[in-house]
Amino acid sequence: MSNFESLSKAVIAGNVGQAAEITKNALDLGARPMDILNLGLLPGMAVVGDRFKKGDMFVPEVLMAARVMQSCMEILKPMLVDEEVPSAGTVVIGTVKGDLHDIGKNLVAMMLESAGFRVVNLGVDVPPEKFASAIREHKPHILGMSALLTTTMLRMKDTIELLEEEGLRDKVKVIVGGAPVTRDFSEEIRADGYAPDAASAAELAKQIVGFSVSS
Amino acid sequence: MGNMVCPNFKVCVTPQFEVLTQDQRQQIYFGALEILARTGAQIHDERTLELLQQNGCQVEGTRVYFPRALVEWAVAAAPSYVTIYDRNGRPAMYLGGNNVYFGPGPTNTFHLDPFTGERRKPLKTDKADVARVVDALPNIDYAMDLGTPSDVTSTLADVHAFDAMVRNTEKPIVHWGFDVEQYEDIIKMAAAVKGGLEQLARRPFIVLYSESSPPLVHSKEAIAKALYAAEMGIPVIYTPCVMAGATAPATMAGTLAITVAESLAGLTAVQLLKKGAPFIMGGVISIMDMSSTILSYGAPEFNLLQAALAEVAHHIGLPVFGTGGCIDSKVLDAQAAAEAAQSILLSALSGANLVHDCGYMEFGSTGSVELLVLDDEIIGYVKRIMRGINIDDESLALEVIDRVGPGGHFLGEDHTMAHFRTETWFPTLCDRRRYDDWVAHGSTSLEQRLKEKTQAIIRGHQPRPLPDHVLARLDEIVSAAEEREAAKAKKRR
Ligand code: B12
Repeated sequence: MSNFESLSKAVIAGNVGQAAEITKNALDLGARPMDILNLGLLPGMAVVGDRFKKGDMFVPEVLMAARVMQSCMEILKPMLVDEEVPSAGTVVIGTVKGDLHDIGKNLVAMMLESAGFRVVNLGVDVPPEKFASAIREHKPHILGMSALLTTTMLRMKDTIELLEEEGLRDKVKVIVGGAPVTRDFSEEIRADGYAPDAASAAELAKQIVGFSVSS
Repeated sequence: MGNMVCPNFKVCVTPQFEVLTQDQRQQIYFGALEILARTGAQIHDERTLELLQQNGCQVEGTRVYFPRALVEWAVAAAPSYVTIYDRNGRPAMYLGGNNVYFGPGPTNTFHLDPFTGERRKPLKTDKADVARVVDALPNIDYAMDLGTPSDVTSTLADVHAFDAMVRNTEKPIVHWGFDVEQYEDIIKMAAAVKGGLEQLARRPFIVLYSESSPPLVHSKEAIAKALYAAEMGIPVIYTPCVMAGATAPATMAGTLAITVAESLAGLTAVQLLKKGAPFIMGGVISIMDMSSTILSYGAPEFNLLQAALAEVAHHIGLPVFGTGGCIDSKVLDAQAAAEAAQSILLSALSGANLVHDCGYMEFGSTGSVELLVLDDEIIGYVKRIMRGINIDDESLALEVIDRVGPGGHFLGEDHTMAHFRTETWFPTLCDRRRYDDWVAHGSTSLEQRLKEKTQAIIRGHQPRPLPDHVLARLDEIVSAAEEREAAKAKKRR
C-alpha cells in the first residue's frame, strides 16, 4: 500500500528514476499493473492538477510529473490489455499560416500529452492544405489551431472552410486558441471549442473526447 | 566654500544604479559571442546567408556559425550613438550613452477605449488619437502605434497605422511592417514627408524594428526587413522577445546571453551589408509566468533583465531599445501604477535609450492611451529624480541662509523666487490638495482625473498639419499599396 503512496509522491516530485524503480519493484512483488496505475500514478497526477490550479505548482513541474507518468506507463504498457491503457485520443496541432509564434502552441501540445493524448505537432506557418492532409493521415479526434496575430487568425476560418469543402469537417473536432482568439471568434468561425491557456486546453480536449465517445 | 578642494569627491549629478559589474557585462557579451560561434543560429533568408558566408561565417543549410572576431568587428563598426530627428527636421533624440527617451509600444491586439472603457479591437482613428496624445505629452518623445488597426486591409494594417500617425504627430515615429513590401510603402511615405529618400536618410524621423524568433531563429521577414531598412539609410532596431524558462534558460544570465546573441546576429548581417549603418540593439526580456504562461511585463525579473541589457549595450557601445511604462494589470488600478512606476524609474536609472511600451496593459495584449498619459506623469516625476541635486555656491545658498537666520523664513526671498520653479516638479495628475479643497474639487480619484485629461487631449490637441501636396502623396502611396494587395488576394483565390 505505502508503495503506491510513495509512487504518487514520486510523480508529484517529478522524480523519474525513483518512480520507475518503485514501479518495477511493485511489479516484482506481484502488484497488479492496473493498481499501480489507478492507486499510484493517477492519484499523483490528480494532486499535481489540483496544486497547479491553486497556484502551488507550476508549468515545468506539471510537465515533469507528466513525464514521470509516461515513463512508468512505458513499463506497464506491455502488461496491460489495450482497453486498459488510458489513451485520450489523437490531436493534430499547429500554428496557422503566416504565424511564427510557437511557444503557446507547444505548451498546449505538452499539456495535451500530459493529459494522455497522442499529439502530432505540425509546427508553425501551417497552410490549410497541410492541416487537411494531416487529418487524412492521422485521423485525429481533435484538430488544434493556434494564432497570435489578428491577421493570421483569419487563416483558422480558411482551414475550417477547406475541411468543410473536403468533407473532413465532421470527422474532427476543431479547437482554437492564441492571444487574439476569443470565444466569440471561435463561435463565429464554427470551431468546436476555445481555451485561453494550456491547462484549460487540456480540460477542453478531455471534455470533447468524452462527449464524442458517448455520443 | 568655492575655493575648497574636496578629495575623492565623486560627482554624480544624475543618479544611476547598476545591476552588473563591468566584469559581468563582459561575461554576458562573451557568452553571446560563444553562443553565436558554437551553437550558431538558423537564418531563413538566402541573401543574408550568402552575405554571411562570403564574410567568413560557416553556413550549413540554414544554420550559421559566426566567427567571434566577425561579430566583434560588427559591434565596432556600428555607431555608438544615433540621432533621430522630428518630422520637421530638428534633432529630437540622441540615442546613446545614458540618454533616456520614452514612447509607447506597437501592435497591441486590443484597445482600451478612453471614452467608453471598453476593451475592443483597435481602429485606424485610434492610431490618429494615439499620435495626437503622443504629440501633446511633454515627456513622451516619439510615437508608436499602440495597436494594430482592425478596420483596414489586414495585410496593410502597418501601412495604415503609419499613415494615421505621420499625419497626427510631429514627433519621431518608431514603427514596424509585416514584410519588405510594407517597409517600402512606409519608407516611401516618410520620404514624401521629407521631400525625398536622401533627405529622409540624412535626417531620419522614423526607426523601423523587426524581431528574431528566439531561441536563435531568424525568420526571412525579420532579417530581410532589417537589411532593407539599413540599405535605405533608415536606423533599425533588431529586437527579440525572450521568455526566461520558455525560449531561454530559466536563469537570468543565460536569458541575457541569448538575448544579446539574437540581436548581434542581426547586427552582424546589417553591418556586413552596410558598414556603419545606424543600429539599435533590442530585447524585450522577461520571465514566462509559470502559472498563467504569460510573458510578464510587470515582473521584477523583467526590470532586472531590461536594466542588465542596457548595461551590456553600454559596455559594447551600442544604443539600446528599452522597455518600460508597461503593466500586467487589466485595469488602471494600484497594480498598474506600481508596475508602471517601477519600470519607468528603473529604465531611467539604467540609462536605456529608446524606452518603449508605455501604454501597454495586460502584458501587451491591450494598448491604452490613458496609461500613456499616466506614464507621462510618472516620467515627469522620474525625470526630476534623474536631474539629481546640483551643488554649487548658489544652490548651497549659505548666503541666504545666513541672511534669513534662525527663526526666519524663505518664502519672500529673491533666492526662492529665482529657484523654486526649476528645482521642483509640478504634478498634473497626482493630487496634493488639502482635504477640503480636494472635496470641493469633486473628491476625484487618479483614474477620474486621468480619464478627464486624456479625453481633453484627444478632443483638443491638433498638431500642425502636413502640407496638402504631402497629404495627397500619402493618399497615393496608400492607394497603390491597396491595389497591390487586392491583386495579390485575387491571385490567391
Ligand atoms: C514572444 C512573442 C513573439 C516572438 C515569438 C517567438 C516564438 N518562438 O514563438 C517573436 C519575436 C518571433 C514575435 C514576432 C512577432 N510578433 Co509577437 N509576440 C510575442 C509575445 C510577446 C508573447 C507570445 C507568447 O509566446 N506568449 C506566451 C505563450 C505561452 O502564450 P500564448 O502564445 O498566448 O499561448 C497560450 C494561449 O494563448 C493558449 N493557446 C495558444 N495556442 C493555442 C491553441 C489552442 C488550440 C488552444 C486551445 C489554446 C492555445 O494556450 C497557450 C499556453 O497557455 C506576444 C505578446 C502577448 N501579449 O501575447 C507578442 C504578439 C503576439 N506579437 C505580436 C506581433 C505584432 C508580432 C510581429 C508582427 C512583430 C513584428 N513587427 O515583426 C512578429 C510576427 C512574426 C510572425 N509572422 O508570426 C503582437 C500581435 C498583435 C496582433 N494582434 O496582431 C503581440 C500581441 C505583441 C504586441 N502586444 O504587440 N513575437
